[in-house]
Amino acid sequence: MILRTKTAPTAKAPSLKQREERGWLWSLLLGLGILGLIATIPWFGDSSALHTWTLILMFVILAQSWNFIGGFTGYSAFGNVAFFGIGAYTTGLMLLSHQPFWLGLIADALVAALFAFLLGLPVLRLRGHYFAIATLGIAEALREFVAVRDIGGGGGGLMSLPLPSLDAYVGFFYAFLGLSLLCLLITVFLTRSRFGYALIAIRENEQAAEALGVPTYWYKVGSFVLSAVPTALAGGLYAYWATGFDPDTVFNVGISAEMVLLTYLGGSGTILGPLLGAIAFEYASFQLQTSGFSLHNTLLGLSIAIVTIFLPQGCVRLIQEFVRKPAPQSTSAHRLIEGVRRVRRFIAANGI
Amino acid sequence: MSDALSQPMASNSFGTNPSSAEQHNAPLLQLVDITKRFGGLSAVKDLSFSLQQGEILGVIGPNGAGKSTMVNLIGGSLAPTSGTIFYQGHDINRLPPHRRARLGIARTFQLTQPFIGLDIRENVMVGAFFGQRGLNRTGASRVADEVLERVNLAHKATFKGSQLTIADRKRLEIARALATNPQLLLLDEVMAGLTSTEVAQAVELIQQINKMGVTVLIIEHIVHAIATVSNRILVLHHGQKIAEDEPSQVLSDPKVIGAYLGERYAKERRAE
Repeated sequence: MILRTKTAPTAKAPSLKQREERGWLWSLLLGLGILGLIATIPWFGDSSALHTWTLILMFVILAQSWNFIGGFTGYSAFGNVAFFGIGAYTTGLMLLSHQPFWLGLIADALVAALFAFLLGLPVLRLRGHYFAIATLGIAEALREFVAVRDIGGGGGGLMSLPLPSLDAYVGFFYAFLGLSLLCLLITVFLTRSRFGYALIAIRENEQAAEALGVPTYWYKVGSFVLSAVPTALAGGLYAYWATGFDPDTVFNVGISAEMVLLTYLGGSGTILGPLLGAIAFEYASFQLQTSGFSLHNTLLGLSIAIVTIFLPQGCVRLIQEFVRKPAPQSTSAHRLIEGVRRVRRFIAANGI
Repeated sequence: MSDALSQPMASNSFGTNPSSAEQHNAPLLQLVDITKRFGGLSAVKDLSFSLQQGEILGVIGPNGAGKSTMVNLIGGSLAPTSGTIFYQGHDINRLPPHRRARLGIARTFQLTQPFIGLDIRENVMVGAFFGQRGLNRTGASRVADEVLERVNLAHKATFKGSQLTIADRKRLEIARALATNPQLLLLDEVMAGLTSTEVAQAVELIQQINKMGVTVLIIEHIVHAIATVSNRILVLHHGQKIAEDEPSQVLSDPKVIGAYLGERYAKERRAE
């Protein structure tokens, strides 16, 4: 912070107009690069790698779309898995009634958007913990409803779908990849646009946002819908990809918790945070699972604790703090000291 | 006095479209018998006053007198228990804050809270985007730069909100509000915590803003500053108006001295 003051033009050059930061462009390019690298996996990897990375991409999408409501708007939606489940069951029902898959996905997006809108109207009048609890409750209620009414038709809500053809799995992979690319672009748009500024303003100070003319309520509903649609699409893709699932899988509260964790791990409200957080955590998690390590859930719980204590602003913000320009004419010793200071300041300013 | 003022406005409240000549004479803002109760406590009680286009109205009073509640009522974050607020002749009682902002009522907050996730220019752009209609990114950015220039923050346009001093935070509050292109600006203690040089700058800034045609309602504890800047001063005490007049009249009013200014202030003034 002190550094910024030093590097800024002083009174000597008041006419020098400060340039906008280009950080978003670098983030976008980096994000595209990462997705580009992942896109090569079907060529080089075996079928198990394809399976793993398909699921990782699914979690990337879930984290990215949770970021819209949780990261940008700052509303801790703890029931976003509801949209995942709605997506899975809507697409499933469409497939069972012999509709084409793409039509199923469209229906899935529309149903989820409508549900998010109708649900958002009452729950987005709530704030903080009340909002979190309300959304969590809705997701649980939906899971119960789908199980009791046996929506899947296989007993207890279980749904079995026709098997997709074998070469379709590469298609699923690219569908997930395309969806996460779309989410990346939406995220970049949010950091640069009127709509996104409104969401950030709501997160930082809802009253001030309202006083500046932001219709905060409708923007919150909008971001909730925006968050629901990719989540539901991921659910729809998952449904056909997995061919069989039950309410306990697709309405699993653990998925909601994971969306939050992955986003916070990477950095909520940032462009790359959810992407990096999801890739790093899920990859590590799959490696641990396949190596027979039984403490998978312990790792999950531990990382939630570590993130919230030490890095409530996520890894991306920590990196941003590091790559900020140092003061001109500083020696390498100065830079080292300043680097240590920045990390200490970052940690001290965030929680403990 | 309040009754006399409220009479001509009352006719406007019934949806009649006042002609432009009438609008010129009609007050920009008028509060009619506004009461706000929080449980058993009346934060504002039977308050009536009006504000003419182009005026600077100062509001003073001891802590807890209801000044900030009054700003919240005008800005729309609180709804009055009874009474009506007219703006440009229209009853705005039921409008939410963002609608009032679009009608041209802008405000600052006593506790400055910049949007720390955005830089200074982007903070101001929020006001431009939502207070004014149909601005694209370039347009909003241009408005923001103009406003930042005016409040002397242009050289810090890419700073983060957390990097600002108190004086700059206050400037940012004003800049955000100005970017909405307001008719009426409500300033809630924008000079609190400033040094005397900064107070002088703030007074000058407010006068400049007023010269551009913005009507100003300003709450302040710094008596000499508010006396300099205001055309009229309204004094609140226990939520009620105890005086409303020109600064020199108000500041020598025994009731005001008793309730707010204190005997020491009165003596100093006499000595001058």
